[in-house]
Amino acid sequence: MLRASAVVEKLGIPTASIIGSGFLKQAELIAKGLGVPLAIAEYPGAPMVDSEEELKRKVGEVLAPGIIRALTGERPRESVQADAEPEPGQVVFGGTLREVQEHFHRKLWSDGLPVIPPTREEVEAFLKFTDRDPGEVIRVVPQEGREASILSIAVNGVMAGCRPEYMPLLVAVVEAMCEPDFRIEDAGSTPGWEPLVIVNGPLIKELGFNYGQGVMRVGRQANTSIGRFVRLYLRNICGYRIPPGAGDKGSIGFTFNVALAEDEDYAREIGWPTFAMERGFAAGENVVTVQSVVCITPPTYSAGARAIDHVQQWADVMGASFTYWSHTGFKRGLWHPLIVAGPSIARVIAREWSKDDVRRYLYQHVKITAERAAHHARMTSTPTFSLEQLVKDGVLPPEYAQSSDPQRLVSVFIKPEMIGIVVAGDPGRNQSRGYMGNHAQGPRMSRRVVLPKRWKELLREARGAS
Amino acid sequence: MSAEKFEVLWPLGRKAVEVTQPAARLPDLNGKTICELWDVIFRGETIYPLLREHVRKKFPGARLVEYSEFGNFYGPREREVIADLPAKLRERGCDAAIVGIGA
Repeated sequence: MLRASAVVEKLGIPTASIIGSGFLKQAELIAKGLGVPLAIAEYPGAPMVDSEEELKRKVGEVLAPGIIRALTGERPRESVQADAEPEPGQVVFGGTLREVQEHFHRKLWSDGLPVIPPTREEVEAFLKFTDRDPGEVIRVVPQEGREASILSIAVNGVMAGCRPEYMPLLVAVVEAMCEPDFRIEDAGSTPGWEPLVIVNGPLIKELGFNYGQGVMRVGRQANTSIGRFVRLYLRNICGYRIPPGAGDKGSIGFTFNVALAEDEDYAREIGWPTFAMERGFAAGENVVTVQSVVCITPPTYSAGARAIDHVQQWADVMGASFTYWSHTGFKRGLWHPLIVAGPSIARVIAREWSKDDVRRYLYQHVKITAERAAHHARMTSTPTFSLEQLVKDGVLPPEYAQSSDPQRLVSVFIKPEMIGIVVAGDPGRNQSRGYMGNHAQGPRMSRRVVLPKRWKELLREARGAS
Repeated sequence: MSAEKFEVLWPLGRKAVEVTQPAARLPDLNGKTICELWDVIFRGETIYPLLREHVRKKFPGARLVEYSEFGNFYGPREREVIADLPAKLRERGCDAAIVGIGA
């Protein structure tokens, strides 16, 4: 919301921004990133858990005087000038492995795990795997207003334990996250969502990704280090740090997702298009897709020789998890649930149904009452939630307001095509799993992975060196 | 642990922030137009009417323009709402704004 305050201040109009106590440090950091000192009026505590009386008292005693002070008092003077900082590519520390770790922990540059020291030599090895200029800036990213450059990708890739040959993929991941529609500025929001990288193409095998049993576990270098890289990048370039940092307001949050690679052989064998093909890419293209994940469903077991046996179970088990959060998607008219279909299950389904048939079934059968959606919205943040108003505003299609009966059922998935399906996991078992995106924050963004001209040769050299 | 020394590069990106001075404050809100901007969360439907009351009590000559005039700047039409803000604020003769709610 401070982005709106900054827009207004830049028009020469003074603002008072209402911020809950728990968000003051983040507000300070965001104001610095926006380059405008902002006058904050504090709401003490959290308004969502105060009684009417308490709220009235806090507004009267603290917030209202704060608003008046912010508009009539002195011009806010907090310094938003950047402190003197090193230049990209500059050596900032020298020491033993242990000393480097300590330094990085102290500076909040690590994720709590040991990092590989980003020496010039290591970083250069990564830069060899891209034809792009290390100084090239993909975008200046919120919330600290830092440059997301090719060099910064290499440095954080080294730190995360990636191999140099992952560099083209890391660049594509950052480019996807830098798409304005991805809303990287909301990656520190309270639901605590994490980006999930989905990998398609020949690189899956070339780089040794796991796409089979244990696909979403840490343990395989490509999947794990690329997942870790994403979290490190969000910390170091965007400034999303949990305390003692300030930018990441995930209330509870969860750890990074390892990169998800699709079992393309299996998908091809059963006649389903791969995930990337459904995103508009040709078979055989190397593609990364990044989307947010805010919650993971229980492992969903399903049994039977008919498609309906499995998809019905998905609707039942995954639907139950997705249902709760659907109000957030309703508010923005957008969300992007993802199903990781176990290969043996996908095979059974594919004998009878296309992926679109699956999506249609889920769209038609996973429902929530209007009353429950409004209840969950009220519990989260939005007492004024109204499906009728969202339809009136053109955010939701008319069927969401076909009657005024609070017990009417509406579809949890706004459009069937919002559901993504990736085939991966253990072909020897009958398990699938759902990954829920965080509404309009972190929708799917796909990027083709651009390999350097000397890819084959560089890969041979890198492998020979290891 | 090895005594080998490592010289490490800075892992952050250069800050590229254009610094702007905040607007001058208004010593008296009487006779001024104060616009409300709301992101439609965190009980603003209760908080804003209370704030209105307080502002009016202290500055009886203040004119308040309610949030419904501007749209939700954190909703599905966020970009359009923010892009339209300068014109809407100008049209309404806005002198100051209350922006909320981050919690």
